[in-house]
Amino acid sequence: MEWLFLAVSFVAVLAAAMMLTRQNAVHSALFLIVNFGCVAFLYLMLDAPFLAMVQVTVYTGAIMVLFLFVIMLLGAETTTDTSGRMRWLGLAGSAVAIILLLIFAFPIASDMLADESPEALSTRARLRVINAIPGGDAEKFTVMEMGFAMPLAGTVSANVALDALDETKADSRIDGVVYGDAREAIRGYTELEAGEYTILVGVDDGSYVSGPIYTKDLILPPESAFSLVVFENDEDLVDVAVLADDISAPAVGMMRLTLFNAVTDRQVSMVDLGQYTARRSLCEDASCNSLIPHRTLVDELPAGDHTSLELDEGTYNLAFVDQDQNVLRTLAEYQADRGRIETRVLVREPGVPGSRASYRAAVYHAFGVPAFGSPESVGQVLFIEYVLPVMLVGMLLLVALIGVIVLARPDALAQAERRRINRRRRVNRPLVSVISQQTGADVLSGDYLVKLPGGSDDGSAE
Amino acid sequence: MNPIGTEPYIVLSMVLFLMGALGVLMRRNAILVFMSVELMLNSANLALVAFAREWGQVNGHVFVFFVMTVAAAEVAVGLALIVNIFRERQSINIDDLQQMQG
Repeated sequence: MEWLFLAVSFVAVLAAAMMLTRQNAVHSALFLIVNFGCVAFLYLMLDAPFLAMVQVTVYTGAIMVLFLFVIMLLGAETTTDTSGRMRWLGLAGSAVAIILLLIFAFPIASDMLADESPEALSTRARLRVINAIPGGDAEKFTVMEMGFAMPLAGTVSANVALDALDETKADSRIDGVVYGDAREAIRGYTELEAGEYTILVGVDDGSYVSGPIYTKDLILPPESAFSLVVFENDEDLVDVAVLADDISAPAVGMMRLTLFNAVTDRQVSMVDLGQYTARRSLCEDASCNSLIPHRTLVDELPAGDHTSLELDEGTYNLAFVDQDQNVLRTLAEYQADRGRIETRVLVREPGVPGSRASYRAAVYHAFGVPAFGSPESVGQVLFIEYVLPVMLVGMLLLVALIGVIVLARPDALAQAERRRINRRRRVNRPLVSVISQQTGADVLSGDYLVKLPGGSDDGSAE
Repeated sequence: MNPIGTEPYIVLSMVLFLMGALGVLMRRNAILVFMSVELMLNSANLALVAFAREWGQVNGHVFVFFVMTVAAAEVAVGLALIVNIFRERQSINIDDLQQMQG
């Protein structure tokens, strides 16, 4: 990596030096193109692929073509450097350059740049609630509530917590998370200031909040994201699992899938069935001596636990299987899109009593933060935070376009000259004075209808 | 992941900027002066991108984007001016352009 940087920067400096010293302007322009190309390469090394592409298209493309056009249009390839001035200007320029270099180099030499690494400027953290309690029993748990309060010396009594659930006292609140739905705030997350929180989860049946059923002190670091999965544990009590979500961009061409097992009485594996789409069991025969061919992606995830994996882009036939090789749920033709971040929560839905239990793999998306320097990240900042400057720059380009058209009219100078002459003629010799001079009569005095030479009385003369 | 720190990029940007400044001071051809200005703008952009990576903020990239846009507008207008000046005087030696001198 270092040798690459050294080579590219050497070429860049060499091209800049050649550009400065060539007498032929076309050669200078070509060396400047080389220099711009090197800078684009350095942008790539600096995790700025979008800018690298803009550099190539705008600078080495459009701007340098414009330069070459103008040089060749004017036929001004060779410079007329006045030799006498050249010498002392070169000396003075070199001296100024060396002085500037020393001034610039001072902070680096004295290690002023490296003494502290910047802290993360963003202090936001994200939190979301996933209600994994099926909503069949409407009176019992329909809506989850949650309050946030600053920790009170580590212990939170039930009364204090109840107060904190009150909207006026809680720092933040995620209300009414229903089953199968992660509350849509910011891509499903609620944004909070990073810091220490006491999380209180209560149950709301519509009229009053009972709870809290769960309290936990949680530290939310900056730029972190957490999911609180509310589920029923094997004693049929409401439990909450805290998942630290990785919302950074997945590897190129991959998607990240997090699986949470809320089916409390069994372990769950996730397998890729390949061509087999609809199966009740992985067993090939009744005695289950052999299994159909499959690829295990997640092996025996215990209840209340979670795991993450990255899938290659493509189509899968996924199945969730318990330890007895029963297929609980299949996801046929599952599309793994690149860059997607997804959380799947496997729950047992309460069915009609006596019938076979059905399972559901509820999906919760987190689109994640785009990779640093990617077109997506630059575009988001550009068109959300900097909309007004974008508009202004667009106006500037429009004005520049019109200005160039006005400047570059081929007869712009001649027209300006003609207009100036015309204006002077009008001012110096008004038409009336010309007429009065030609007719010999004082036109302004009023008796001018009497004798117009060569004209008739009907006034049809020009 | 990327073993090269910010300082080498800043040093390179400094060197390129000074070469551009030298070009502005030394060359008499208006087009070459213009190209040297572009070189200086580019070195400033390089420093901005390097610092953007150091701070992990995309705002630097956005600023570089704006600089590029303004540079494009500036080059278009400047070259149109140069064409006009050349048409009037048959020369783009900036030492000849002194009619505004008092």
